[in-house]
Amino acid sequence: MTVVGRSWDRLTLPGKIIFTAVPVLIILSVSLIAAIALLGGLVVDLLANNLPIVRFVVAVTVVLLMTIPTAFLIIYMEMKVIALMNLRIGPDRVGPFGSLLSVVHGLKVLMKEDFTPTGADPLVFTWAPVVTYLASVMTLLVIPFAPGFFGQDLNLGLLYFFAIGGLSVVGLLMAGWSSYNKYSLLGGLRSAAQVISYEIPLTLSVVGLILLAGTMSLNQIVLNQSGWFTDWYVFQQPLGVLIFFIAATAEANRTPFDLTEADSEIVAGFATEYSGMRFGFFFFAEYVNVFIISALTVTLFFGGWNAPFPWPWPVDLALSPGQLGIGLLILVAIVPLILTVAFAAPIWIVSARIKSWQALLGGFLLANLFVMAMVGAVAYIGIEWVAGLLWFMGKTYVFVFTFVWMRGTLPRVRIDQLMDFAWKWLLPAAFLNLFVTAAAIVVAQSVRPS
Amino acid sequence: MSLVPGLGIARGMALTLRRFFEPKVTIKYPEDRRDPPHKFRGRLQLLYDEWGTLKCETCFQCAQACPIECIDMGGMDTRGRFHVHWGAPETYGERREESALRRSGRPVPDPAYRPFDVVDLAALDAILDEHDHDPARMLQILEATQAAYGYLPVAALKRISQRTGAWYAMIYGTATYYSHLRFEPADASRQAAAMDASRPTEGTYLTALGTALAGAPRPRAKRARA
Repeated sequence: MTVVGRSWDRLTLPGKIIFTAVPVLIILSVSLIAAIALLGGLVVDLLANNLPIVRFVVAVTVVLLMTIPTAFLIIYMEMKVIALMNLRIGPDRVGPFGSLLSVVHGLKVLMKEDFTPTGADPLVFTWAPVVTYLASVMTLLVIPFAPGFFGQDLNLGLLYFFAIGGLSVVGLLMAGWSSYNKYSLLGGLRSAAQVISYEIPLTLSVVGLILLAGTMSLNQIVLNQSGWFTDWYVFQQPLGVLIFFIAATAEANRTPFDLTEADSEIVAGFATEYSGMRFGFFFFAEYVNVFIISALTVTLFFGGWNAPFPWPWPVDLALSPGQLGIGLLILVAIVPLILTVAFAAPIWIVSARIKSWQALLGGFLLANLFVMAMVGAVAYIGIEWVAGLLWFMGKTYVFVFTFVWMRGTLPRVRIDQLMDFAWKWLLPAAFLNLFVTAAAIVVAQSVRPS
Repeated sequence: MSLVPGLGIARGMALTLRRFFEPKVTIKYPEDRRDPPHKFRGRLQLLYDEWGTLKCETCFQCAQACPIECIDMGGMDTRGRFHVHWGAPETYGERREESALRRSGRPVPDPAYRPFDVVDLAALDAILDEHDHDPARMLQILEATQAAYGYLPVAALKRISQRTGAWYAMIYGTATYYSHLRFEPADASRQAAAMDASRPTEGTYLTALGTALAGAPRPRAKRARA
């Protein structure tokens, strides 16, 4: 054995790791710096020249990645909220308040056996959940999350939304047909009948809104609703909102219209033969759908990312830290100390039993919270998209909560009631809404030609 | 069906929203345990000591405390000499036949009956007179009786029962509860011999056990302290 080998053997495990990792890191960082220095300008030029493509790729990536925490959050909400409504506690073991349980569910689904029944068409069988999932995810591309935060501002955004969203039926039919199972096929047909029936009132309910807005670009529709919350379309289209919400519930296969997989009553329909992650994708799609439907409701009728009222006190944040000069350095050094002591003092005073180090710790945490709140407030006031995203997400999750709430409350309807309701009530109501809106617009234009 | 369409749905949603904020009924079992019901008194069970004999001293405190009077007990007393029982004979399984006999008017043979020493009860009658035949002053009566006779003869206890009207079992229970009251003359060896004679198996067993454990045999009876 050589000298090197003997010295290597004498090293402990951390020593071995350090001796290998440090040179590798040095080599990697040096080569990275060299690559940036040599090729950086070229790459930046390339990206700048193809900005639309870059934007599209980034948007698709972000949207795809965004669906994962969204679905996990909604699944957790569903478990927790319904449990609380049942006077149970719900998940509370994994993570704070059980919030990581949906992650565990996801891992469980990943580890399960992915089974393909004999006689199934493997290609179609595999791609059916992907089609369903992608049909949901792709609709996210046109939804404006905040000013400047959207995948593409299509001038036919709403049409794109309904067109791509309608593709999920294809996925359901593919799943039902390729499973080589009568129940799956019947379930697939059942879901197709439901989804297509409800697509008609769903689409018709927003036509009145399109007449009002004069555009199908979702971004423009949101911009039209800026200002006070009375400008939201919900106050001009109350019937439209109702029809849209009910039809969207059926479209997303949510209770009380979850006939596609009435798990407690009939065979789970198109998903009967699925297992593992392919099964998981259907449910991923369902929960993403819930988010999307809520987001679209907010976008169309509830002002999107607009705050319900304009900020009444205009704040001029003329913060320029550079002006302070050396004072900035002193400020950075002293302010945390002052804040910590300032927040620790009341804790220390309030009870003699609190030791000084505990008071200081509490003061430090409170000071951090305070600073974070201040930074958040500055960001909210100063940066437009932060406020927009906050309002949009807040409103969207109110509707997500409503969906979960409905699931915790309403019993499932029968299939004939479902169809009757779509064709005999929702469709005439949607037409009524459309005609009344059109007539009102005509009257308004003739009375007040502008 | 309500007249306003959707009213039922709205009321249902309001109900679930109310439930959402109500306190929850779940008990997280391994960490939190539900308190036993207010009147739960545990499980009735006779315990054995480490020598395999019943720990019950037949003091009848449990029967006296029992709020629904569900405890009947009876059997040989702790010395294995005579029957003691608590509760009406009719409700008392072992005594049902005896009860039937008694109602028929025939003399009732008591298989556990053992003739006991005859003692002069004049002193006891004086004590009872002094205490006004009051069953509420049982402890004083018993102490005075023990002072007079040196122990509590069974005949004396029966006499107290007849005169004061207290159940024999109550008197017996009181007497067994207080460790300074004894049923035998304070003579441990005589008492042990009597025990061996009446319950030879146990005596032999205890002797053998003491030898096997190579220690002093345990005191035969807790009350034999003198």
